[in-house]
Amino acid sequence: MRTKDFAYWLFLAPVLIALTLVVVVPMLLGVYYSFTSWNGITTGEYVGFQNYINLLKDERFLDSLWFTTKFSVVSVILINFIGLSLALIVTSRIKSSNLLRTTFFMPNLIGGLILGFIWQFIFIKVFASVGEMVGMESLQVWLSTTETGFWGLVILMSWQMAGYIMVIYIAYLQGLPKELLEASEIDGASSFQRFRYIVFPLVAPAFTVSMFLTLSNTFKLYDQNLSLTGGGPYNSTEMVAMEIFNTAFVQNTFAYAQAKAIIFFVIVAIVALFQVYWNKRREVEM
Amino acid sequence: MAKLLMEQLTKTFDNKAMAVENFNLTVEDEEFIVFVGPSGCGKSTTLRMIAGLEDISSGTFSIDGKKMNEVEPKDRDIAMVFQNYALYPHMTVYENMAFSLKLKGMPKAEIKERVRNAAEILGLMDYLNRKPKALSGGQRQRVALGRAIVRDAKLFLMDEPLSNLDSKLRVQMRTEISKLHQRLKTTTIYVTHDQTEAMTMATRIVIMKDGVIQQVGTPKEVYDQPDNVFVAGFIGSPAMNFFNGRIEGNYFVMGQTKLLIPDSALPEGLDNQEVIIGLRPEHITHKPEKDQSTVEVNLDVVELMGSEYMVYATLEGHSFVGRVDANLNLSAGTVFPMAFEMDKARFFDPTTEKRIK
Repeated sequence: MRTKDFAYWLFLAPVLIALTLVVVVPMLLGVYYSFTSWNGITTGEYVGFQNYINLLKDERFLDSLWFTTKFSVVSVILINFIGLSLALIVTSRIKSSNLLRTTFFMPNLIGGLILGFIWQFIFIKVFASVGEMVGMESLQVWLSTTETGFWGLVILMSWQMAGYIMVIYIAYLQGLPKELLEASEIDGASSFQRFRYIVFPLVAPAFTVSMFLTLSNTFKLYDQNLSLTGGGPYNSTEMVAMEIFNTAFVQNTFAYAQAKAIIFFVIVAIVALFQVYWNKRREVEM
Repeated sequence: MAKLLMEQLTKTFDNKAMAVENFNLTVEDEEFIVFVGPSGCGKSTTLRMIAGLEDISSGTFSIDGKKMNEVEPKDRDIAMVFQNYALYPHMTVYENMAFSLKLKGMPKAEIKERVRNAAEILGLMDYLNRKPKALSGGQRQRVALGRAIVRDAKLFLMDEPLSNLDSKLRVQMRTEISKLHQRLKTTTIYVTHDQTEAMTMATRIVIMKDGVIQQVGTPKEVYDQPDNVFVAGFIGSPAMNFFNGRIEGNYFVMGQTKLLIPDSALPEGLDNQEVIIGLRPEHITHKPEKDQSTVEVNLDVVELMGSEYMVYATLEGHSFVGRVDANLNLSAGTVFPMAFEMDKARFFDPTTEKRIK
């Protein structure tokens, strides 16, 4: 029994040590620093909950949190809608489905920063030229207002992630027993009814995975935000991750940023846990 | 209630393999037709063409005189039972059975009545609120049947519905399906690879091989008057025994063995011809007095089935099975006289394998 215990811990050790060093210790240190006045150079002194009290009154932080929430809700819905639609298209009997799969997945292979710059060019130059040509002024001001900045980010994120989420939906759609779809066909279901009553309830596990991924990714978005809008105009499109980064590395208030990060972590964790719990309840065992 | 007509029905996959070839069949109202054959013989493909789940490559299929080739499955007014039940896992038994009626927009009260009726017939009343996962194989099969019954469809299609059940349950469900058919009288097409199911349930059997119909007939016809060697060997358990030999006068000769064929049983014009004769196990048996159809054979294996023995032996290089009364005391390795009832023999052409009548 002793040797078995030893072997057990021996095999677990690499992961445990790595996880402790890069996740647990920094996390605990982070929690500790959030209660100090650490500025990146001197450790500072213990200030109790002062940082947390301050951030509740910090409008810039609260605005970014609200902006991030709006962005996440819209993006999660849109990405999953588009992802599932694409998956339905490429799993139907069309000839070019393999080519389409590759095409739809490709944006996901481009890094977030590059993607931001590409779309910045599209929104500012291409949209403006098209707007000029067709005489639509609304196309000429993209990314210069909060509104267009918001939708610019949503479009960019959906374009990037929909293909990735599509792959997850494809896997689940292909795992649906063919007989069930045939049985529903014979039972008299139209293709919409088949989707509504059979396919949709049965791909519930895919929703759990996809929504978790999209939710956590959109909440933590940083590089696309940086390269597309840079938080502008007037920090109105600044998302939480970027706000925390600026607090730490621009304003050099590391401890304060750390407190924000802790709150952000708690929010994302609660939202994600709630989402997974809620989704799991809808799942059916085959 | 429906009359089906299949003319020259053909199915090719990707323009290559011919899965079903020139399938011609008329099914009368209230018939219980069984498609039987080994795996890959095209029986399921034919059924799926009837259901509309598979396109018909050429030929026509019609129900009550109406051509169905291009009609969507949902508009064919058929109900189908699948091999693995295909119950919707996220719906209760009630919802599973009510699904098609709900899609039709039937009033709730009527749906309830129909589902309850079907559930009562099938003994599912206590399970209506359960999900399929919480049911045994036999119960799931009943739900699948129930889903078909409530539809009150013109035609029932069943694709190997019993093959996932254990043997005892299979026999029980077999009789239940037969009873159901007697009660509802819905025209039914039933696919199976099990010849026992075919023999016990069918009003007519369609035997298929390599996409081609070998014979269509009542269970008695295909058993007693098989059209060819394949049908003769496929129907019946244990299978019919075959012996290659030659007709010389009134004798069937193989090697050193000569068996006398009664005049009445011998088809004309076979003298000096090579033939295959087929004898069912029940026609190779024990007879107290020796005559010109009795041969001494060495018993290879003796199986006691309770009321009778199955005896396995070899004669002139042909292995065969016979049936002997269990009152005799038999054991493997002994030499025993076996009587070949040549008046029951069936004669087949060795090249075409067709029966010589």
